[in-house]
Amino acid sequence: MNALEKRINSAAGLLELAKRAWRRSARLQAGALLVGFMAAIAVLGPYLAPYPSDGMGVVPLNAADRAGKPPCPEFPFGTDSLGRDVLSRVLMGARLALAQILLVVSLSLALGLLVGVYAAYYRGPVEAVLNYASEVFLAIPAIVIALALRLVLGQGLHVVVASLVLSWWPWYARTSYVYARAVAEMEYVLLARLAGVPDRVVVFRHVVRNVLPLVLVQAITDLGSVLLEASAINFLGLGLPPDAPDWGIIVQNGFKYIASMPWISMFPGLFILVTALGFSLVGDSLREEVDPKMRRRWKLWF
Amino acid sequence: MPLSLNYLVKRLLWSVSVLVGVVVFSYLVIILSPGDPAVKWAGNPRGPGATKAVEEARRELGLDLPLYLQVLNFLRMVFTGDLGLSIAYRQPVFAVLSRNLTATLELLAFAYLIGAPLGSLLGVLAALRRGARLDGFLQTLGLALASTPTFWLGMAIFAALLPSGFAPYGRVSTGLALATGFQAVTGFYLIDAILQLNPSVFLDVLARLIPPALAVAAYPLGVCLRISRALVADALLEEYVRAAVAWGVKRRAVVWSYAFRAALPGLVQVAGIAFAYSLVDAMVVEYVFGREGLGRLLFDAITLSDFKLAIGLLVLVATFYLVVNTLADIAQALIDPRVKL
Repeated sequence: MNALEKRINSAAGLLELAKRAWRRSARLQAGALLVGFMAAIAVLGPYLAPYPSDGMGVVPLNAADRAGKPPCPEFPFGTDSLGRDVLSRVLMGARLALAQILLVVSLSLALGLLVGVYAAYYRGPVEAVLNYASEVFLAIPAIVIALALRLVLGQGLHVVVASLVLSWWPWYARTSYVYARAVAEMEYVLLARLAGVPDRVVVFRHVVRNVLPLVLVQAITDLGSVLLEASAINFLGLGLPPDAPDWGIIVQNGFKYIASMPWISMFPGLFILVTALGFSLVGDSLREEVDPKMRRRWKLWF
Repeated sequence: MPLSLNYLVKRLLWSVSVLVGVVVFSYLVIILSPGDPAVKWAGNPRGPGATKAVEEARRELGLDLPLYLQVLNFLRMVFTGDLGLSIAYRQPVFAVLSRNLTATLELLAFAYLIGAPLGSLLGVLAALRRGARLDGFLQTLGLALASTPTFWLGMAIFAALLPSGFAPYGRVSTGLALATGFQAVTGFYLIDAILQLNPSVFLDVLARLIPPALAVAAYPLGVCLRISRALVADALLEEYVRAAVAWGVKRRAVVWSYAFRAALPGLVQVAGIAFAYSLVDAMVVEYVFGREGLGRLLFDAITLSDFKLAIGLLVLVATFYLVVNTLADIAQALIDPRVKL
């Protein structure tokens, strides 16, 4: 662990880092704007949506008159083949998207952090077993796990969350393992052990607390990648049921009508792109701030 | 540089042992799940004979054995290439998978031939102008490309092509293939068309391959751009680059033979991991463009609840990941003078 990483070893350090990055990086500001926008529609979606029941997947009574309308003042994003307002569905979907990615990232972060820290702290056979397990799960992409789970458990949120957690936790296990090894060798950890502090306390009070902020920076970027994978799983019909206002599912709803009603699929896909980009921009600028060597404006001198 | 046998054997053994873990996991997912596979295999029987039918199915599938024996049995089957019969196709799963794998590999390889070199090139461009407007633009472009949902991009490309009157659906026009006597030999249609000296089929296959390949290429383009930018920018700060400049080495040589050369091993490794993961992306895009391949199998496995095909896909995708990763590691070791094997 180098000096730069040491600086963000605490929550206050992380905040400080974010503040400095904010002043310096236009990309962080752009990313934060996109993420803030997404969070706002996630909270306000049901109040903003012009036709909330359409958003939840209910087919309106006058479906026949409303079906397949292109974008117009009444339906800014058009209507789908069943006459549901696409804007309402997209707005209601923000909440669902945020719930899925937060659930997946927090669960896999917790699992990965525990595995990584314990592997680094205990070493020996525990380390070997935990590393082997993370290697196994790294080899299986979420979509094929989702396929297996879909067949045995049926459709639902549990398939999306379980398959993504199973395929994402090894990344956190790896990252936190690397950091935790450096921390576990530090003198204050050794002193705490020598002083007879129980292992569990040493792990949580000294190791986890110092590793967490570093892994959190990684997790912010991952929120975007998890959204991409979750929407792919939902697009394929492996996850949520076909009425749910998930963005991947709305894209799927328009799949058959891509030639005649392209707006059904294009708008929700754009929201996936913008949200994932927002998280990537934020995570990326924060990581750049951790490694300021790459940040400096710099002219080739030859 | 000589690649030591010791390293190779260790690396291969490790990959095989991880594969064993994957196989055990995929078996346990199916077996320990709430639904009983024996009931499914017997076709959800009802009535007086149901119990007997399920019992028979259980024996047929070997589910009456103790768990560890079942797992060992399944491992033996996988490593002898016998994954049982596909319920959807009524054919050996292994044959179905290998027939469709080449289609997906063709798409994936073509996409990476576009995406990886272009991305690396743009990354070098960005690294040379670090902190400038172009750098910021390229970095954001890289992030945006890597943040684009592939299935949606595929649909957008498909829709954009429709006004031109050409729908890039499927792998080859069946009528054209029949008229010119085109035969699939290797399964890679581009290579088959060249081998059979069939220019019209070659162009048709190419025209149908490029649009989906562009959708798959977005991710490697973005990733290679970002990684190559970071690695080359790092290398440009090294002492030996400074020394080379002081010696009066030409700028082009400094950038490519010194800085980019140093970035190459890392780039190969990251591109290898990305390539392995993009197999799934290629499968999704295949489904969007109605191409034959693993993507269609994925869909068939869901719609026909073919859990044998699903296990086969799981094992195949994981094997592909392990093989590509092992190859990338070996390639990296070969081209990286710093790795002592």
